[in-house]
Amino acid sequence: MKGGAWLCLFAPLVGTVLILLGGTRFSRRAAGWLATTSVFVAFAGAVWAFLDLRSASSHAGITYTAWTWLQAGQFKIGLSVLVDPLSTLMMLIVAGVGGLIVLYSVGYMDGDDEERRYFAYISFFVFSMLLLVEGGNLLLLLAGWGLVGLSSYLLIGFWHERPTAVAAAKKAFVMNAIGDATMALSLFVLIAHSNSLEFGTSFDTALHLSPTAVNLVALGLLGGAVAKSAQIPLHTWLPDAMEGPTPVSALIHAATMVTAGVYLIARTHPIFEQARTVELVGAGIGALTLLVAGLIALVQTDIKRIIAYSTMSQIGYMFVGVGVGAYANGMFHLMTHAFFKALLFMAAGLLIHALADEQDIRKMRGIGALMPWTKWAFLAGALALVGMPPFAGFFSKDSIIAAALHDHWYGVILAAAGLVGAFLTGLYTFRLYFIVFPGEPTAFVREHRHAHHGKEGPLTMLVPVGVLTVLAVIGGWIQFSPFWHPLTNWLDPVAPTLAVAEPTNAQEAIASVLAVALGLAGIGVAWALYGRGEVAVPRLPALQRTLEHKFYFDEAYDALFYKPAAVLASRLRSDFEEPVILATGPDLGEGALEIGEGVRRFQTGLLRTYVLFLGTGLAIVGVIFLAVR
Amino acid sequence: MLGPGIAWYLGIAAFLFATGALGVLIRRNPIIVLLSLEIMLNGGNLALIAFSRHARNGAGQIFALTVMAVAASEVCVGLGLVVAINRRRLALDVDRLSELRG
Repeated sequence: MKGGAWLCLFAPLVGTVLILLGGTRFSRRAAGWLATTSVFVAFAGAVWAFLDLRSASSHAGITYTAWTWLQAGQFKIGLSVLVDPLSTLMMLIVAGVGGLIVLYSVGYMDGDDEERRYFAYISFFVFSMLLLVEGGNLLLLLAGWGLVGLSSYLLIGFWHERPTAVAAAKKAFVMNAIGDATMALSLFVLIAHSNSLEFGTSFDTALHLSPTAVNLVALGLLGGAVAKSAQIPLHTWLPDAMEGPTPVSALIHAATMVTAGVYLIARTHPIFEQARTVELVGAGIGALTLLVAGLIALVQTDIKRIIAYSTMSQIGYMFVGVGVGAYANGMFHLMTHAFFKALLFMAAGLLIHALADEQDIRKMRGIGALMPWTKWAFLAGALALVGMPPFAGFFSKDSIIAAALHDHWYGVILAAAGLVGAFLTGLYTFRLYFIVFPGEPTAFVREHRHAHHGKEGPLTMLVPVGVLTVLAVIGGWIQFSPFWHPLTNWLDPVAPTLAVAEPTNAQEAIASVLAVALGLAGIGVAWALYGRGEVAVPRLPALQRTLEHKFYFDEAYDALFYKPAAVLASRLRSDFEEPVILATGPDLGEGALEIGEGVRRFQTGLLRTYVLFLGTGLAIVGVIFLAVR
Repeated sequence: MLGPGIAWYLGIAAFLFATGALGVLIRRNPIIVLLSLEIMLNGGNLALIAFSRHARNGAGQIFALTVMAVAASEVCVGLGLVVAINRRRLALDVDRLSELRG
């Protein structure tokens, strides 16, 4: 168990270091394969840790400490990894899906100028994410949290010659920094009260804290989760992050990093349970986000942005799940979502790759006839996303809605939002599908499509897509509440589902039937609107405009934060910098020069004068000593 | 104890030190400067030993030994420099070696 966890954590870091040190001694291909191997080694480590933990007598989890990493008085932090059901589940998802996506990028990034840098970054990302999920105390978790933010920044801005990519990277970093800061503040509160950041100690401390303090801690953690998981109001960075390469979008902005917020809430649930209001606020944020993101996705035209909004919406579901206290259901949806959303991104990547980097869905029409395998893979992912039985999303999404349904009146509101969201999911997903795939290929598609020796892409890209297609179909069968729930049982020692979030069988059935019916209705409406080849249906222009401006969030933040700062800065420049600083600067400089000229006289170059100064100084000191005594 | 009192020793030590210092200040031949330095150091040594005897404590003698070792190494370096200056046919005059003037 121990070896597996450390192997899992450090294999990707070794990959990064080797690629960075190797430089041009590795061919570009070799760098790609090295990164792939390192992540698959990490996956092997995760499987090792998982098997060991499964055969262990207690599943409560063990912390292994390598050495004391930081010590300040009583406060002590070890470099430690935690192996428990929750962390092994995340390790398997991160390293498993991560390995497939890195393999995919060997084909996707082929021919890029700076492949080595890409692969160094991406295996560094996998290391950071594993540090986040394996970290044995809250400080290591925060360190991983910051490092995934860093590697996300580096990878979004990977094509640094594009100004839009650089701007998107900065936006993501700043938005995430807000969350990092609130999280750090809540850790400070914990340190002040317990002098420790071990999970167990912190959770015990939370039991004895005053309501204000525990609410503050939970709010800070929620702030971190909201920023990292792109929930309202810190969501605007995620759609822009699609400027990065597609495998990055699949790995970081769909499968792993953006779901870290869900993991955080599940991991620190004892704190959130002491601050139940904050936890429910989290669920409410999730419900709001899933609706808003679903609506915005209806009018987007960039294939990756549509999927990005869909990701926000699905993470909204997970927030509802963990917010009402159904941690296992939230984590289950996290897992299935990692499968089908990575699949959707990678299928979209196949299209983008084949069409010379075109991302506008209006130009892709009819490509399904030329790329049938991609079409079927995308269809499987889409059905899983909408939650049609027997695809993966059906099992995980419906159980979240059912869990919410059980929880008082607000639970019903959350569940209603989830059901409306299911309709929207069906609508936007199949709007995308019906616009892109069926019909006669357009001239644009015929002209721009590159065939890879008659295939739809290189083998390194097709294999991961195939594996994920299978997982998107069968991945959800692992748990079918209320009939069998091995995942819930597995997570029970660390994150037991709250009693208020245990739905009755009738509620499960109602949620499933309604969600599937509404999903089908969404698909039906999409077929009616877009199935016959009309590309855009502009009705309700005001609503359309609002949606196309994404509810004016960017504009509002611009007016609220950027404009005042810019005005302040320009006023400071005209009223302070120019009259004061720029006026005094030269005077200071000239003064220094004059003093230097004066002092220069003492530097005669004659040894004797130096000795004279020395002797005089000594004599003065001696006289002073004698006089003072 | 026999012999003159400590004041005599200190007087001679101060005289030696002042002589050396004067030499360092006014002479221009580097060899004489080094010689004067030695006289200063030995003035210091004399004071140390006088104090050591006066206080009945061996520490001053140890200090004096250390100063001798330092003086020896300093002379090595200094004479080495003099030889190097001579080899390059430069004037043996410390005032003309003033490259570092500000």
